[in-house]
Amino acid sequence: MAKQVFTVKGMHCSACVMTLEGLEDELAGIRSLKVSLHKQRAEIDYDDKKIGEDEIRRAFEGKGYGLARA
Amino acid sequence: MRLWRKPEKPKRRNAATPIALFLGAKLLAYSILGIFLGWIGSVLQLSPYSRAALQIGIGIFMLGTAARLFNLHPIFRYFIIEPPRFVTRFIRRYAKNNASTVATPLFLGTLTIFIPCGVTQAMMVLAVGTGSPLLGAAIMFAFILGTTPVFFGLAYVATRLGEVMHTRFLQLAGAVVLILGLVSIEGGLNLMGSPYSFSNLLNAASVSLAQASGGSPEVAAQPDANGAITIQVYNTGYSPDLIKAPSGKPVSLTVVSNGTTGCTRGFVIPSIGYQRTLPETGQTTINIPASAANGNLRLHLLDGHV
Repeated sequence: MAKQVFTVKGMHCSACVMTLEGLEDELAGIRSLKVSLHKQRAEIDYDDKKIGEDEIRRAFEGKGYGLARA
Repeated sequence: MRLWRKPEKPKRRNAATPIALFLGAKLLAYSILGIFLGWIGSVLQLSPYSRAALQIGIGIFMLGTAARLFNLHPIFRYFIIEPPRFVTRFIRRYAKNNASTVATPLFLGTLTIFIPCGVTQAMMVLAVGTGSPLLGAAIMFAFILGTTPVFFGLAYVATRLGEVMHTRFLQLAGAVVLILGLVSIEGGLNLMGSPYSFSNLLNAASVSLAQASGGSPEVAAQPDANGAITIQVYNTGYSPDLIKAPSGKPVSLTVVSNGTTGCTRGFVIPSIGYQRTLPETGQTTINIPASAANGNLRLHLLDGHV
């Protein structure tokens, strides 16, 4: 299990937050995904045996957002 | 007996219908929200000063929104209101679990009022500032109708055009919101009777320049011997628009409208707390007491414009 805080690039409104939090249901291995528009951050609790950081980053990029370790 | 049956073509899902239903529901929901916001503004509209404070507050919110769109500083991110997490989660889960092509887009379109973007929030605040349910609805209707193709197109091409175009679009949106914010603050300052509004500073500068060059900038009308003076109200302004009265004496101001339907009917004199919507046709007399007729009295429209 891993819990990591990331900086998210490219968020502008709550619809962006909703889009990204939807990854919680789309990606296997994500236990919880909390996105803060004000802080431009994502707190992701995931099973690192099922999903890696690179895969999560690619999923964010696929939605049009950047992700980097905070 | 026919043994072989031609396989049916798979039904092609019509994508236009749910999109149209979604956008229609969104347009209707925001228009109804505009009625509510305008009504709130009308309730809050207690006096020219409270209205001025509201307009200045709206202007500051819009300037903050513009600064956020320009990405000037992280502090400006707080100029957007985040809906509670349970609301966004509900919308997300509902969209995922309900596949009806009629009810789902209608419901989701309606729910978009809970997740407005920054510019939409600025328009919502502007709708409050109108102080009229009809105008509030008109602002939201026009904004949603006008921006839907833009937002739809932007969402569609955002990932294809890249970061540069996206940033430029945000800067353009920021510039529009910045102008609206400045207009709102200008209106608020005028409603307060402040000499520091842009239009009043410009007037003062033009008077100073004219005096410095030895000329008279405008011919001021004067009240008669009884202190009475009449102003004609037209759709686009007032005549005369400059009155010079002796200080310390009461003035009886008669405002005459004749088939006037413009916004000039919303008449405000902030210094004496006077605010009224003038009749389309008729005369309204305002008695300005001697105590108030000392110094400059500014007359404004209800929205704060001179």
